[in-house]
Amino acid sequence: MSASSVGATDQLATPPAGPAPMVADARQGRWGDLWRAIRRNRKAVAGLLLLLVFVVFSIFPGQIAPYSPTAEIFPRAVGPSWHHLLGTTAYGQDIFSQLVWGTRLSLVIALAVGGIATALAVLVGVSAGYLGGASDGFLSLVTDVLLVLPIFPLIIVIAAYEKNAGLLTLIVVLGVLGWSYGARQLRSQTLSLRRRDFLESARVRGERKSYVILYEILPTMTSLIVATFLGAAIYAVLTAAGLQFIGLGDPNSMSWGTMLYWAQNNEALFSGMALWAIAPGVCVALLGAAFALLNYAFDEISSPALRVRKLDRARLPKRLPAPPTHPAPDPEAEGGPVLRVEQLTVAYATDGGPVVAVDDVDFELARGEFLAIVGESGCGKSTLLYAIARLLGAPLPGEIVGGRVVFKGKDLVLLEERELRRVRWRDLSVVMQSAMNALNPVLTVAEQMRDACRAHSNMSKAEIEARSREVLRLVSIDPVHLHSYPHQLSGGMRQRAMIAMALLFTPDLVIMDEPTSALDVVAQRSLMVQIKELQEQLGFAVIFVTHDMSLVSHFSDRLLVMYAGQVAELSQTRELFDRPLHPYSQGLLSAFPSIHGPKVRLLGIPGAPPDLAHPPAGCRFAPRCPKAEPRCTAAEVPLYSVNGSAVRCVLAEDGR
Amino acid sequence: MVTLWAAITANFLIPRLMPGNPALAMMSRYRGHINPQALHALEIAFGVKAHQSLVNEYFGYLGNVVRGRFGISLTFFPDPVMHDVLQALPWTLALVGVTTVLAFVLGTLIGLVGAWRRGGMLDSVMPPIFVITSAFPYFWIAGIAIWLFSLKLGWLPESGGYDVVDTPAWSWHFAHDAFVHSILPAMTILLTAIGGWILTMRNNTVSVLTEDYVRMARAKGLSPWRVMWTYAGRNAILPNLTGFAMSLGFVVAGAILVEYVFNYPGVGWMFLQSVESQDYALMQALFLLITVAVLTAILAADVATVILDPRTRDER
Repeated sequence: MSASSVGATDQLATPPAGPAPMVADARQGRWGDLWRAIRRNRKAVAGLLLLLVFVVFSIFPGQIAPYSPTAEIFPRAVGPSWHHLLGTTAYGQDIFSQLVWGTRLSLVIALAVGGIATALAVLVGVSAGYLGGASDGFLSLVTDVLLVLPIFPLIIVIAAYEKNAGLLTLIVVLGVLGWSYGARQLRSQTLSLRRRDFLESARVRGERKSYVILYEILPTMTSLIVATFLGAAIYAVLTAAGLQFIGLGDPNSMSWGTMLYWAQNNEALFSGMALWAIAPGVCVALLGAAFALLNYAFDEISSPALRVRKLDRARLPKRLPAPPTHPAPDPEAEGGPVLRVEQLTVAYATDGGPVVAVDDVDFELARGEFLAIVGESGCGKSTLLYAIARLLGAPLPGEIVGGRVVFKGKDLVLLEERELRRVRWRDLSVVMQSAMNALNPVLTVAEQMRDACRAHSNMSKAEIEARSREVLRLVSIDPVHLHSYPHQLSGGMRQRAMIAMALLFTPDLVIMDEPTSALDVVAQRSLMVQIKELQEQLGFAVIFVTHDMSLVSHFSDRLLVMYAGQVAELSQTRELFDRPLHPYSQGLLSAFPSIHGPKVRLLGIPGAPPDLAHPPAGCRFAPRCPKAEPRCTAAEVPLYSVNGSAVRCVLAEDGR
Repeated sequence: MVTLWAAITANFLIPRLMPGNPALAMMSRYRGHINPQALHALEIAFGVKAHQSLVNEYFGYLGNVVRGRFGISLTFFPDPVMHDVLQALPWTLALVGVTTVLAFVLGTLIGLVGAWRRGGMLDSVMPPIFVITSAFPYFWIAGIAIWLFSLKLGWLPESGGYDVVDTPAWSWHFAHDAFVHSILPAMTILLTAIGGWILTMRNNTVSVLTEDYVRMARAKGLSPWRVMWTYAGRNAILPNLTGFAMSLGFVVAGAILVEYVFNYPGVGWMFLQSVESQDYALMQALFLLITVAVLTAILAADVATVILDPRTRDER
């Protein structure tokens, strides 16, 4: 990024804080957050409660179980009663007492095996990934060999011949053989971390390897380590129960698997002692389920995308803009605007309630017009863009909660998905930030053009091929690349190919989300020139989102400056560059150098954008504004119209 | 290749580290039944000589493995091991192999559709249920199923691969019989195995759905069907291929409990027999079978990945 980007102002503003306190804060915050996340996750709570019950059982079996588990003193094979909650066995033992006492062994096996396997997996996986080279080669080989060894049959063999060794052998064998899968995952995770900046910086600081591994790598892999532990624990519980069930454990040990073994031997299910066979199985299942639920919950917590949040409309922070009263205007009127955005409001559901990311935005776009939307990251410009295209949803899970998007006389907000599909790509297409991510990696460019054509036309195969070649030529790509996969093209070519794809049907509007930001400065320029030429030649309108004002200065007709979800200023591009009205626009302009103008000191904008969950009262820019006055924070600032420009600043009121 | 060698070696060493000598086991089995000369002849036949050094034995073993000779089974004396294994293998492949594939295919489909309809009925009910079923002990589910469906309801036969009155033959009658016998074990395998696939596919799909190319596909106005299959599903399945291959490779190992509970005449049941009677030759052959199966499956997964993911083609 060059100094001309708005994002750079963030760094200008905040002095670099010392690394030590920041790290400590982050760590404390992480545990606090983790705890809160666990409490909020129903699956985690259920798993923890189940586990807690079993832990209590295993620590105080004597207090909880009413009888001795082994005493054969009761009437045989009686059904459940108040004396014997789950009945008695064929030997006259109390089933419930056996269950309670049996918990200890299963839990010990689960935790011990989980511990051993995780420790080995971390040790081998992280060392292999971090050390690399020959150590990696050797450790990976060991891991792979263990991975293909059939563990369960091996354990059967060992258990069959080591009857006297019992529990300890079982734990050691399960632990020593069960770590390879986790080690493989940890290794690949470590490999991907190795190139990250924070590790490089630790290396430059000259930290010891053991320090780097313990304090820099391991904390970032908490969720994977937890998953390894829980996975090994589940496996241990099930395997141990399986072994005991087929009679390979110590038949006199007090465990659920052994109970199942005796129950099976006495045909408990078929002779009126069904609970003898069912209850221990349920316990194994519940303990396994407790670990599985925790595992699943951790997965959800560590990747928030897995959770579904519902937008709580009742908690929206302020009244919605009243629905537009006048009817949808001038359907298909020639010369009318191709797009009219009215009072568009978008909210996100977060754990702390809804957050309004796009707040009451209005603008119009004429046919063939080039409108640029600029603003800092997080100002809502991408959300606005995808709301217009009706493409909100993961990873931008916002919802339109008010307003209209009138495109060629139709309100896109109200269109059904089926009707919307007819408009898409034929009339309105989208170019995304990174073509590497926006093109399907497993399909060729030709296939991706073909499916768009098939969805919207009856073109024959030959026609599609011809049209695809034609649009590629439009963006100066040699059509030989048509049958390439995206990863085979250079960054610039991919971006052009995506633009070519957007022009397949010569739409009325092309929405572009920072389409040049993945390119170097020279490629950026030439792509901009090309977009502008195509636009003039084919006559489509463009909405172009960028954080780099200088990029669009020569290309856009009008500029819309967004701040904290609102329109700060909207005017002709030249006008805005020459006479910026909003102090925020002025700040943005002073943040990058002019090639032609006199040498001036570059000024950033001090402070950071507000938290949209709690926007400041009145003008949202006031806390950072050098010209702020008491009246700025007194009330919401409306958009003032000044010489054909719109600006949200109380100073404009004076100028009127 | 190195992995294969290491696995073969491990197969050789592990049974030998165990207490109990096959020759002694043999002798105790036949003591009093046959005379010493016959016993000596048997020793030679098994290739087990008490006085041979471990190194010599090892190279002899390697040579035999390469030539596909695994010796003679103690359990099913005097059948050669290969003969027995080949007889049991089709049963296991047909039952556990088919259900493993079925579990993967069905689980992947359900996971994909569930993730696609985020927040829908399928998606909110399914994950917790399958989290729990995948933690159930297999043999216990099988026991309950036998009790319920064959003893209480009498719908399905409780055990075996076919009716005892039948003899294996290529006839409709026998095929039908074998099929009926396989329903219960197949269903129980499916129930415990499918959960894992549903969950991983769902999670993969959910993360693929946040990718720009899925949003791009929506922007292109493609039919939801096309977006789900070629954009979301096609990419979400890639990380699961290796896992699927591993599970295919472990079909034999996984068959042990199934075949124990159902008395099914496959290699898992045979393995337990061999452990009980200290039949090293059979045990070794089965271990080797598992290892080769896993390695082959992983190789196949690599090939499949190359076919399905063009990015891996250019890396080589």
